[in-house]
Formats: sequence, structure tokens, C-alpha cells
Amino acid sequence: MREGPNVNVPGTAFRSRTADPPQSVLDERELLERIKAHDMDAFERLYRIYQPRLTRFLVNLVKRPQLVEEVLDDTMMVVWQTAGNFRGTSKLSTWVFAIAYRKALKARARWPDPLENEERDSRVSNDPSPDAELERSRVHDALTRAMDALSTEQRAVVDLTYFHGLGYRDIAEILSCPVDTVKTRMFHARRRLKQALSGTLADWL
Amino acid sequence: MPDQIHSETNLHKEAEELLPWYATGQIGAEDQMLVEQHLSNCAHCRRQLAFERRMVDEFAALTPQVDTGWARLRRRLESRQSWRQRAARELALLRQSFMRPQVAALAFAQLAFVIVAGSMLFSLSRPSYRALGSAPPPQSANVIAMFSADTTEPQLRHLLQSNGAAFVGGPTPADAYLLRVPAKSREVVLVHLRADRHVLMAQPIDGASS
Repeated sequence: MREGPNVNVPGTAFRSRTADPPQSVLDERELLERIKAHDMDAFERLYRIYQPRLTRFLVNLVKRPQLVEEVLDDTMMVVWQTAGNFRGTSKLSTWVFAIAYRKALKARARWPDPLENEERDSRVSNDPSPDAELERSRVHDALTRAMDALSTEQRAVVDLTYFHGLGYRDIAEILSCPVDTVKTRMFHARRRLKQALSGTLADWL
Repeated sequence: MPDQIHSETNLHKEAEELLPWYATGQIGAEDQMLVEQHLSNCAHCRRQLAFERRMVDEFAALTPQVDTGWARLRRRLESRQSWRQRAARELALLRQSFMRPQVAALAFAQLAFVIVAGSMLFSLSRPSYRALGSAPPPQSANVIAMFSADTTEPQLRHLLQSNGAAFVGGPTPADAYLLRVPAKSREVVLVHLRADRHVLMAQPIDGASS
């Protein structure tokens, strides 16, 4: 089963975030208050907001689909159980992603990455593409391979920046590292991505 | 001049590092100004910015297969909650039940029945034989005595010890105690006991084995 429009509409991820009205933040805070009172409906709503984003984030970190589900569930379990500890000193999304990142690192320690190309088909949409989409599909495959070649920390920074549209300060908080480290990781990751994509994207590099 | 070159190099590096967040709009006002000033005179960074924007679009389109998974997580949450809630509910029900007088009385009667039945079962199940080394059975009383109400425990203890006596039973319905004293000196002990101001009465028990 595929998730709703949050994930499947290309190019909307960061744009919707950058245009996030304050109301959405308020809604999340309201949901959190209800979750603190163990309101399952509120938790389901929060889950549906974060599940696509977290899945996407985790797919790039732990790679194994089964493990993605496990880490996602573990993350949301922590959110459910420790919602009362969230003091609001950071963004809710930063708090949730930080939990997911720590869980992902632990999962990676237990389960190393699968061999190259193993399970790739289940990681990235491979719906039959019409001819007009073949080029895009080719670029996506190359991008996926290029991401795979990055370190876990670099993948996290790249994905949080390009897909999730987070700022360097939020990313530093999620990864528990200095802001300058985030910038440096991103710099080197971009260089490697560019090199890896040079054949595929020659026209715009 | 070298300082100026060095400074421009640093500025270029700083601006280039910030380009991804300039492209996504997730950048502070000061950094944004720095990037924009630099972009106006750096062709390399302008090309790099085009790359950043393309990457944002490509990443947004890189859609993983997503399973909603909510049903799975909800089952996990409910299974965790259910045993806690069940235990809490059972406890609460039990507590409520015991608060009701009829149930409390019934429970007390049941408890009493269990204790009595248990002790009967225990006594019936005791073996009729005695193993070697078993403790000797308690000896029969050969004296019955009554003590004054103001007798303290140390006084009583001293009285028994000094006469070689020991409690065997009591108090009886008349508040008397059954004692075992050395059979051979029973008469002497009786004299001593009767002479003590704490002893109201001390009599031999006829028929007691000695």
C-alpha cells in the first residue's frame, strides 16, 4: 500500500515545509498535548503526518525495509511514551527526527547494510514507467546509488536538507553535532553526489 | 592584497557551504545576505545553486514505497497497553468487590474455611510414625497453677526457672496454666510455688504421668 499525497507528489516536500503556516505547528503542538493525555486518535494523526517523512528519512539510513518499519515503530513508540518529556525548546519535528536518527544508528549497529542492489527494488518506486519517464527513472536510480555511496551521517544531512527541507541548525540538533560539522558534511556529500552523477546529469552539471 | 584574497576565498567557501539551505529557503537572514552578495560576482556558485535546486526537485521525486503501517503500530501499542490495563482493571474490580460488605463477609468466610480446611488436611496428612531423631513429644502437665494479675513476664520466668518448671498449656477458661515440673520434686516445687506471692494457686494434677 502506498502512502498519501504527502510523499507521492514530487517536489512538494520542502516547499510545503518552507511554506508551513504557523497553524500547522500549532496543530502539532495541540496533537502533542492530546497525546500526553494518551489520546490515540491524536497519536494516529501525528503518526500520519510523520510516517511518510520518517520512512523516507530512515530508508536512506538503514536500507532494509523491515528494519525501516521497526525503527519507525520504535521511534513513534518513544514519541507516544515520552511525549510528556517534550518541553518545546526545539521544534517538534526536530525532536522526532532526533529520536529516529538515534534509533537508526542503533539499528545499523545491529544490522549492517545489505549487499549492493539487494532489496533495492522495494526501496524505491519502480512502477512501470512510460517512455517519457524513463529518463527520470534513470536519474533516480543513479541518485539512489550515489546516496548509497555516502556515509550514514552524510546521507542524513543530505536527505534532511534536500527532501525534508530542514535548516542547518535543526539538523545539527537532530544529529547532536556542531552546525559547522553539518555544513562540512553537506559540502563533501554534494561533491561526491556530483561526481557520482556526472555521467547521468552531464547536461546540467 | 594576499589578505584580501584569503578573505575572498573564505567568503566563497562559506557561501558555497550555505547554498543548499539558500536553495531550500532554510537560511538565516544574515547568511542569506552573505550568499546573495557572493552570488552576484561568483559564476561557480551560481552554477552550484542550479545544481542545488535540481537536487531538491530530484529528491522530492525520489519516492520510496511507503506502507502506512499504522495498523501495525496500533496493534503493538494496544498489546502493550492491554496487559497493563487488564491488570489495573482486575485490581480495581477486586478492590471494589472487597469494599462491598456481603462480598467481604463471603471472602472472609472463604478465607476462614480455607485456613481451617488447610490445617485439618495438614494434621491428617502428618505421618503417624516418628522418624529417628524427631523431637520428643511434649510431656504432660503435672501441676496446675494460677498467677496474680500483676505478675510480670520476668517474674514469671524467674519463678519457673528457679523451680525447674515449664509451661505445657493454658490459660484455661479459669485463667489457670498447666505446668510440668520434675516428678520427683513435685511436692517441694508445689511448696515453693505456693509460698510465692505471685502464685494464687498451685495444685498437683492427679493422674498426670510423672
